[in-house]
Amino acid sequence: MRRKTSPIQSILIGGIMFVALLWVLFPFYWAFLNSIKKPADTFRAGAWIPFLQFQPTLEHWISELSIIEIRQALLNSTIISLGAATLSVLLGTLAAYALARFRFGKSGNANFTTWFISQRILPPVVVVIPFFLIMRQLQLLDNVFSLVLLNATFTLPFPVIILSQMIRELPPELEEAAYVDGASVFQGFTRVVLPLILPGLVATWIICMAFSWNEFLFALSLTTKSAIPMPVIIAGAEHTRGVQFWFVGVRVMLTMLPPIVFALLAQRYIIRGLTLGAVKG
Amino acid sequence: MAATDSTKPQARRTDRTKFWFLGPAVVWILVFTIFPLLYALYTSFFSFRFGKINQFVGLANFGRLFTDSNLHNGLRVTLTFVIVTVTIQMLLGFGLALLLNREMRGKNILRAIMILPLFATPVAMGYLGITLFYEINGPINELIRAFGGSDIPWLSNPFWAQVAIILIDIWQWTPFVFLVSLAALQGLPADLFEAAEVDGASGWQSFRRITLPLMAPVLWLILLLRLVEAFKVFDIPTSLTLGGPGRATEVYSLFTYRTALRFFDHGYAAAQGFLLLIIVSLIVGLLFGRIRSIYQEERN
Repeated sequence: MRRKTSPIQSILIGGIMFVALLWVLFPFYWAFLNSIKKPADTFRAGAWIPFLQFQPTLEHWISELSIIEIRQALLNSTIISLGAATLSVLLGTLAAYALARFRFGKSGNANFTTWFISQRILPPVVVVIPFFLIMRQLQLLDNVFSLVLLNATFTLPFPVIILSQMIRELPPELEEAAYVDGASVFQGFTRVVLPLILPGLVATWIICMAFSWNEFLFALSLTTKSAIPMPVIIAGAEHTRGVQFWFVGVRVMLTMLPPIVFALLAQRYIIRGLTLGAVKG
Repeated sequence: MAATDSTKPQARRTDRTKFWFLGPAVVWILVFTIFPLLYALYTSFFSFRFGKINQFVGLANFGRLFTDSNLHNGLRVTLTFVIVTVTIQMLLGFGLALLLNREMRGKNILRAIMILPLFATPVAMGYLGITLFYEINGPINELIRAFGGSDIPWLSNPFWAQVAIILIDIWQWTPFVFLVSLAALQGLPADLFEAAEVDGASGWQSFRRITLPLMAPVLWLILLLRLVEAFKVFDIPTSLTLGGPGRATEVYSLFTYRTALRFFDHGYAAAQGFLLLIIVSLIVGLLFGRIRSIYQEERN
């Protein structure tokens, strides 16, 4: 952009890019390889290219997907991430609108924003014990509902911060025109603002889903059997049957694919989301 | 600026309405974070037996923090992890962003692929790590052998086990530093660099005098976000090494988790949690001041 690149430089840069891509993609490739290798091939050296160096098989995929616990875990993870993301975006959008359009005292808006962001500082392990005791008290241990509530809480800063920025970028005259036509404040929000921020809303929802899907500490602490989600079920491939690389491969793929697909769908908003709105990207 | 003027009749109606918008989220967070924190504070004053409150012990749980060598081990392991991973991620991520900050083909694909590790389930990466770092015929040792090295005892040696969890975290989070710095670099005003070039500034000079000062606030912010997340580390050591061999990778969160949910010593675990919260808050406090002062310098 600024300086002209010489041919040698561009080869060098191309090389660096190539190495970076290999480095990023290799673990995914290896997980996939393990999932289609016969057990003996997973422990053998020199089995990197399917068909050429080993005969691939789909048997692990078929046998893993027929396990009731894994289907249940996929269902649990889906419920948890959908539920948590929806709750979080619902509460977050309302708060985002309030912070973008109304004034809360002299520096109330900035303080509220900082307060929402500061939720990300809290190490989850600090609150996992009280949550465990509270959920036991409420008979909500091993219940997906408790994980929906907790993941909604810990993803709430994302919609608040990202969407309040988006709403601030819209001209307030849009709603004022609707008020003149007799719309209430709430109608101005639902009929004028919501349709305009829809792309951001969907992206934020997707980011929250990915985070809730990947969450491990609460899932591990608060589930024992029927509410176990995917990140916890991977462990089963190790403890009950010794380390079985082929099953680990399938479970790792099953666990990682959804959040990765989500991430690609929400690409445009990810930098903004992960820096809590500080960098637009 | 966007706020409604309070003299308009419309404004009076919004005075109450605005709390209906903000209220639910605020109440939600109060219920789900402040209340558990208070509850944790309460339990930290008690000893537990069979997972039930046994008796009031005052500050005894906090006193144990000073003498528990396993806790100190967890703190040491975590600090090492945080310092090493965050330093490497910052240098590597920012360095790559500087190198690739130019017009080139395939930039969108590169960006899309760099996003993938950020969203790869960390605990899945830990289990995948077991197969990647497999000591006998794992792909990493196979590569090392191909280049003439000898097998590394990744998971059975305390030092190499730490290296393994650090490598996975670097794999996962360097792209974050890269993507954010690249986005910020591309937002820098191009005319400043052109002017510097006209004035005969060398590449190093314009980096030192223009790029670095302009990037400083973003870099401090990335550092802050990375530090906060790195202190929470739990998933990867729990899945890859189970804290072992011995206690070589037993990070703070894992030790506290075990105190609470394996030994059911809830009161002591709560005290440990507060120590971690205090440490992280102190670091955030220190850096937050730094970030704000840089922003203010910029404005003057």
